[in-house]
Amino acid sequence: MLSFIGRSIIQKTITLFFVSIVSFLIIHLAPGKPSQVDPLNPKFTPEIVERFRKEFHLDKPIYVQYVYFYRDLFTGKTVSWKDNQSVLGKIWERFLNSLPLFIVGTIITWTLSFPIGIRSAIFRGGLYDRSATFFSYLLISVPGFFFAYVLIIFVVTHFHVPVIGLKTFGIGDASWLRMIMDRVWHLLLPSVLGATGGIAILSRYVRSQMLEVEGQDYVRTARAKGVPEEQVHYKHALRNALLPFVTMFGLILPGLIGGSVIIESIFSWPGMGRMAYEAILARDYPIILTVNFVSAVLVLAGTFVSDLLYLVVDPRIRL
Amino acid sequence: MTIRRVLILAPTVLILFLIQSYLWVPTYEEQTRGNPDRLNEYITASIGDASILNPILSADSASSDIQSLVFEGLIDRDEELRFRGRLATSWEIYEEAFFYVNEGASIPGVGKAEGEDVVALLWRAKTGDLPTNPELKASLGNIREISVGPARNFLVTRYEKKNEEDKETEEVRVRVSAPARIKLVLDAVDQDLFQNLSHILGKDYFSSFNGQGYLAVDDERWQEKRAKYAEEILPATEHNPIVVFHLRPGVKFHDGPVFDAHDVKFTFEAIMNPKNLSPRIADYEPVKRVEVVDPLTVSIVYKRLYSPALGTWAMGILPEHLLNDEALKKEAIRLGKNPEKFSMRQSRFNRHPIGCGPFVFREWKSDQYIILDRFYDYWEGPPNYKRYVYRIVPDLLTQEMEFYAGTIDSYNVQPHQVERLRDDPRYQNFSGPSFGYTYIGYNMRRELFNDPRVRRALSMAIDVDKIIDYVLYSQGERITGPFVKQTDYYNHSVKHVPYDPPAALRVLEEAGWRRNKEGWLEKDGKRFQFTLITNSGNDLRKAVLAIAQDAWKQIGIDVRTDLLEWSVFIQERVDKADFDALILGWVMGIEPDLYQIWHSSQTHPHQLNFVAFNNSEADDLIIKIRQEYDHERQVAYCHRLHEIIAHEQPYTFLYVAKWTAILDKRIVIKETDRQGKIMYKKIKPTKTGNFAFYFNKWIKLPEAPGFAAEG
Repeated sequence: MLSFIGRSIIQKTITLFFVSIVSFLIIHLAPGKPSQVDPLNPKFTPEIVERFRKEFHLDKPIYVQYVYFYRDLFTGKTVSWKDNQSVLGKIWERFLNSLPLFIVGTIITWTLSFPIGIRSAIFRGGLYDRSATFFSYLLISVPGFFFAYVLIIFVVTHFHVPVIGLKTFGIGDASWLRMIMDRVWHLLLPSVLGATGGIAILSRYVRSQMLEVEGQDYVRTARAKGVPEEQVHYKHALRNALLPFVTMFGLILPGLIGGSVIIESIFSWPGMGRMAYEAILARDYPIILTVNFVSAVLVLAGTFVSDLLYLVVDPRIRL
Repeated sequence: MTIRRVLILAPTVLILFLIQSYLWVPTYEEQTRGNPDRLNEYITASIGDASILNPILSADSASSDIQSLVFEGLIDRDEELRFRGRLATSWEIYEEAFFYVNEGASIPGVGKAEGEDVVALLWRAKTGDLPTNPELKASLGNIREISVGPARNFLVTRYEKKNEEDKETEEVRVRVSAPARIKLVLDAVDQDLFQNLSHILGKDYFSSFNGQGYLAVDDERWQEKRAKYAEEILPATEHNPIVVFHLRPGVKFHDGPVFDAHDVKFTFEAIMNPKNLSPRIADYEPVKRVEVVDPLTVSIVYKRLYSPALGTWAMGILPEHLLNDEALKKEAIRLGKNPEKFSMRQSRFNRHPIGCGPFVFREWKSDQYIILDRFYDYWEGPPNYKRYVYRIVPDLLTQEMEFYAGTIDSYNVQPHQVERLRDDPRYQNFSGPSFGYTYIGYNMRRELFNDPRVRRALSMAIDVDKIIDYVLYSQGERITGPFVKQTDYYNHSVKHVPYDPPAALRVLEEAGWRRNKEGWLEKDGKRFQFTLITNSGNDLRKAVLAIAQDAWKQIGIDVRTDLLEWSVFIQERVDKADFDALILGWVMGIEPDLYQIWHSSQTHPHQLNFVAFNNSEADDLIIKIRQEYDHERQVAYCHRLHEIIAHEQPYTFLYVAKWTAILDKRIVIKETDRQGKIMYKKIKPTKTGNFAFYFNKWIKLPEAPGFAAEG
């Protein structure tokens, strides 16, 4: 067990190192320059551009820039080129904004997927199962932004209430309960939209897992022994079908930092995904690289956690 | 079965809880009725967030939107786009001109002359003792004072790179023994002064002045730089235009202290300070020095003639007491940073600006909003709105939805969105031409395009009116030349190129292009073939691309098209001048300075004259325009330049798009007259198309007022 953890940590550190090199290279080799050294703005003379390059160490060889960047990152001194704010501070602020969206979205996904998937599996091939399949594929294939627009236009034109942003602007001095509910309302649409794809995919997984387990010998044995149908489904089958999902918990982790670029942009939600997207447009390297690095860490930590969880829940696995 | 019940109950409860929150959210009408304060707030939406709220450091439009409300400049533009005083009440412009006495030159009728003799000669000419022509007479009449400065010796130190790659510099000492210098004080700036004076002093008096003879470089290795040093240190003639601003007394910054001339000087110095990396440094490079005459008078001396420089004083003035070295040092220590390295760029001021504009900064949440409150002590009286909110909504459609939901009062409305609300009685809408235009530019380095007839024929084949009608929903106007259409500089007598494909074919035939059997145009066996490119992500340009391709195909030109990602488009194609023809737009300033885009010296890689336009008369006019301080004369030069460019057709000038705006009808102009009577007026755009010109007087009323029919 301990040796597994040790090996895993060493492997992941090496992976992380390569990720940091590759992402650094990709960003620097991509076309386009930081907007501070954008040559088409006539206000920027070559001297200023040169000075900015110096300030940002862009005049140094790329490996020196690499060392500078990660030195600053680990000492917490990296600042955004756009506004000189501390990158870690910015990411933390955005993380707090993305968090409610992420939590509500995840709760919606997981609470809805199970009932839908289980029912599909129990009534396999029936009208309900078929329509659930149809809608799942519909949700998977229609792009999220399209749903978002349709939903926003529908809500705004029919109910005349605001849906964009964290809260209603100009709500004034309303009671605290009202303020909270206002925020909940603003969470509703983006998190539902963020969850649709997840529900569609996860409910398919639940269905196939359930079907697989229902075909097992022990389920047949339970039925043969005269256990009530409901108990067969929910006690014998479901428990075993749940196993693979435990590992998926670990894989949610990276979603925390990724946020959703499209949903956050459409709803002007000041979250992580939007910040990263805008940083990419402005070629704000410190932000892009830091977000990249943090999400790489989270992906690796996520796989690590899911490995551990598997160990804990499945007694058949021993390392 | 509990598990089953939980599985069904949990999502149901969750969804019900989320949906009931709807009942708590105010609707469009409730927002104003249930909350009277909402009427005193103006909420606007922007696609992008501000980056840095310091007028000398920012270069993006969102930041400048906020800065224009928080900071105030010395001057700005009025409804007619003329300058008007803000922090300055008035200003005057005069000139000091200098020239070195050319001891070697022989003056007609006098011979070789010393400084005193030249002064005496000029006085004689001024009083009418010498024969003169009208131009010279005007120049002489303009002279207020003539004096002579003595010859002097001094030492100049220059720093030179040892060689190209080496970063280290070496000190070069230059010993100068300058001859006597004549100083002329002029009532008005006169760019032709020396040219006219050479009628008296001799044709070569100024050009034959040899500065190299008056300086010595100690180090042998740097002798070859002498010519360059002479030009810099001892120019034969020098124009020093001077602008004197008289400042408004008693204007306060938001935090209390009174604004004065030292703040102006400080702002200038902050821009020029290399530590601050100000992107505006180029605008102020022509300034020689800023002098504080007294707390309410500041005089700005320029190195050379450069008339667009006056407009730069519309820049927001910074408070010296918050940002000078001492204040920055204190801040650095408080934040635990190294005071040596701490510059204005790191200061907290950039996220919490203080100026003397109509609104006081209150709060900024990145990518969410910026809130400003009105400034009660604003010198022109506080604005009517109590609060200004700048929301960041990055998506155009959601901006529209927020507008419907009542949580923004105005947004970047697109022409097709205005179309939807044009007849809605709840809203008022505005539109006007913007500052800029879209064009097709031809790379005149390519043989295909270096004949003006060909470029003209290409322009004739495109039906711009149709583009405006169908691509822009009529929200655009035709444009024929490079100036902003609303200004005097634009020459309205220049006719636009008519849409006439048969005539285009005739013109092309004159130029040697004939249709072959397959219908393609051909010359010397080569087909008329080129690639038209533009950047991806701009739907209007993409539509124009397809229309132009089709229109040219109709007259037998084989046009390929290509859409490129912006940075590839700029770096690989535009900067390297590697294109045949492209579609692009310019956003213009009001100043008529076209040097960067049209002067023939600006055709190198990374410069803006990427079509390689080259016309000596145009070059001449471009220089004259930027040196002329007299509006009438400047306008005349501009009109001529406009004619030349329109005739040469380096671009097919397509259209200037109109900006559009939409507001709730309940937003009106509120004015209080001297008796304290309140009057409401309808918001109207100014002649130049700025609907928000009187923004400080706007207010939202609970009900839309009825206005008398307008005559």
